[in-house]
Amino acid sequence: MTAPAPVLSARDLRIVYRAPGAAAPVPVVEDVSFDLHPGRMLALVGESGCGKSVTAAALGGLLPRGMELASGRIDAAPGVLRAGRGLAYVFQDPGECLDPVFRVGRQIVEAMPPADRRHSADRLRALLVQVGFHDPDRVARSYPHQLSGGMQQRAMLAMALAGRPRILVADEPTTALDVTVQARLLRLLADLQRSGNLAVLLITHNLGVVAEVADDLLVMYAGRAVESGPVSLLSSPRHPYVEGLLRALPRLAPDAPPLEGIPGQVPALGRRPAGCPFHPRCPLARPGCATAVPHPTRGPAGHTVACHVRAFPSPSESTP
Amino acid sequence: MTAPAADSPVLLRAEDVRVVYRRAGRRTEAVKGVTFDLREGRCLGIVGESGSGKSSLARALLGLEPDAATGRVLFRGRDVLTMDRDARAAFRREAQMVFQDPLGSLNPRMRAGDALAEVLLVHGRARTRREAAEQASEWLSVVGLDADYAPRYPHELSGGQRQRVNLARSLCTGATFLIADEPVSALDVSVQARILNLMKDLQRTRGITWILIGHDLAVMRAMADDLLVMQSGGCVESGPASAVLFAPRHPYTRTLLSSVPDVPSSLSRRFAT
Ligand SMILES: Nc1ncnc2c1ncn2[C@@H]1O[C@H](COP(=O)(O)OP(=O)(O)OP(=O)(O)O)[C@@H](O)[C@H]1O
Ligand SMILES: Nc1ncnc2c1ncn2[C@@H]1O[C@H](COP(=O)(O)OP(=O)(O)OP(=O)(O)O)[C@@H](O)[C@H]1O
Ligand SMILES: [Mg+2]
Ligand SMILES: [Mg+2]
Repeated sequence: MTAPAPVLSARDLRIVYRAPGAAAPVPVVEDVSFDLHPGRMLALVGESGCGKSVTAAALGGLLPRGMELASGRIDAAPGVLRAGRGLAYVFQDPGECLDPVFRVGRQIVEAMPPADRRHSADRLRALLVQVGFHDPDRVARSYPHQLSGGMQQRAMLAMALAGRPRILVADEPTTALDVTVQARLLRLLADLQRSGNLAVLLITHNLGVVAEVADDLLVMYAGRAVESGPVSLLSSPRHPYVEGLLRALPRLAPDAPPLEGIPGQVPALGRRPAGCPFHPRCPLARPGCATAVPHPTRGPAGHTVACHVRAFPSPSESTP
Repeated sequence: MTAPAADSPVLLRAEDVRVVYRRAGRRTEAVKGVTFDLREGRCLGIVGESGSGKSSLARALLGLEPDAATGRVLFRGRDVLTMDRDARAAFRREAQMVFQDPLGSLNPRMRAGDALAEVLLVHGRARTRREAAEQASEWLSVVGLDADYAPRYPHELSGGQRQRVNLARSLCTGATFLIADEPVSALDVSVQARILNLMKDLQRTRGITWILIGHDLAVMRAMADDLLVMQSGGCVESGPASAVLFAPRHPYTRTLLSSVPDVPSSLSRRFAT
């Protein structure tokens, strides 16, 4: 497959945080690189606190106070980052998107480009129906607190789409939705990708959703990319962390085993271990894992893994 | 799976609970008459459509919708909706809600550690500030956040970290009845497993009774003893969780079950060679 030029490309992002009064900044995100392509969806996955939302915020220059992009580059097609409308966000918390004092409809209309505002009522209704509302007029009239959690999530998505963005960054956009509405929204995103050439960065912890709709996958752990490539890599992951995530998936079968997470926990900022960030929790860890940071190694079809034990053989030995 | 005493005393009985929001002459019927019994020490799962009234029902059960809720909510035989002030104060110590929106329910000006410490003092779990601070950091570590997170304000935490602080704040009260509205929706599967196992332990060891609102049916399989399925304000199906999940009767329940995304089957459908 020959990929078209990416609409956004992030290279070697390094984001640091300086706590008020702290002497030295601590790294939050390190060496993360990815491309967003028109018509494709990249899923960003990883443990709570590993830096997914911060990475997404960096794309739009929205890093929280105290954080900065210390090095790395974010290049985008002309106009995408500048115009504000080129890049739309659905934030993880409704409170960060929706203003409690304005009706939802008004907020969505304000996000529309001028050309759409001439027939804003029709466009508003169409957007609300697209995101699965049966009663768009009531929703438009409501204030955010009069909507349920999942309705707020859908309203945020409608608001993000109202701007006809070229890139949609959706941070956990379906967590409050039942599986049927979730399926509907995922189909909508897939349609918009194909018909409107939208590029989507989907942050989610739901690997079922990833397997269903994403094209590409980037798994982060403690601020670093540990495995990436086409989403089909989930059927043969290499990194022990990704294997652990798949094993921890709760299953619906009557004989499913009890829930079990990966032993240990993600280290706090500033306490990340030397070497491979996952080594203290890794069932395969060897002594060398505690000293050297594993660099990404490339395998077939863009599959990349950063792991000493499961590294792809270097190019000279590869191609089986 | 051994369900905790299916014949333990009824802790909470909901009788024809309705929630109607009125504003500027408009009515929204969010809950249209829901009835169920919840026995002590069990976990009742509530699943259903987005906007079907789950959160409204939860708030009604805890007496948090005084103007909108009708019906009867009997907690140990006393009606929550008509309790006098003293009875309500006692009820509030025993029953806690974990709200769906952590950012909205945590005080933005309060550090995570202080938020927990305050609750510990108010609920008489700690006598001194120092004791409260110590217990607060223990609770943070119970939900997988080490002491580094105690001085953080809510906006300085990740989504899943905020959700865990919010849950810890309700757990640390020592409540015996908790309604948790999507308490793990922002968590990756590994942290989620840890938190759910913690909740399950508390159910076993401290006899806590749970209502767990969620939409992940696999999580419900692992957690819920009983399950109630809601659609547009009403309960369409309820019963032992295994019966609802593995022998569903209502078409909506069946639709839900057939829409659960599943990694291996999605991959093999999309990438079959
Ligand atoms: N405003 C902030 N100030 C200080 N630290 C922050 C801030 N926002 C996030 N962090 C920290 O940066 C790290 C990465 O946070 P981020 O929000 O990117 O995590 P995440 O991967 O999105 O997690 P989750 O899945 O829980 O939402 C976390 O340890 C978090 O505590
Ligand atoms: N304060 C309010 N005023 C008016 N209407 C409200 C209010 N709160 C909720 N509603 C309406 O009541 C209905 C049920 O909302 P509720 O929050 O109980 O749903 P839910 O089942 O929790 O949904 P979700 O899974 O999306 O969180 C929705 O139509 C919502 O718009
Ligand atoms: Mg996040
Ligand atoms: Mg709700």
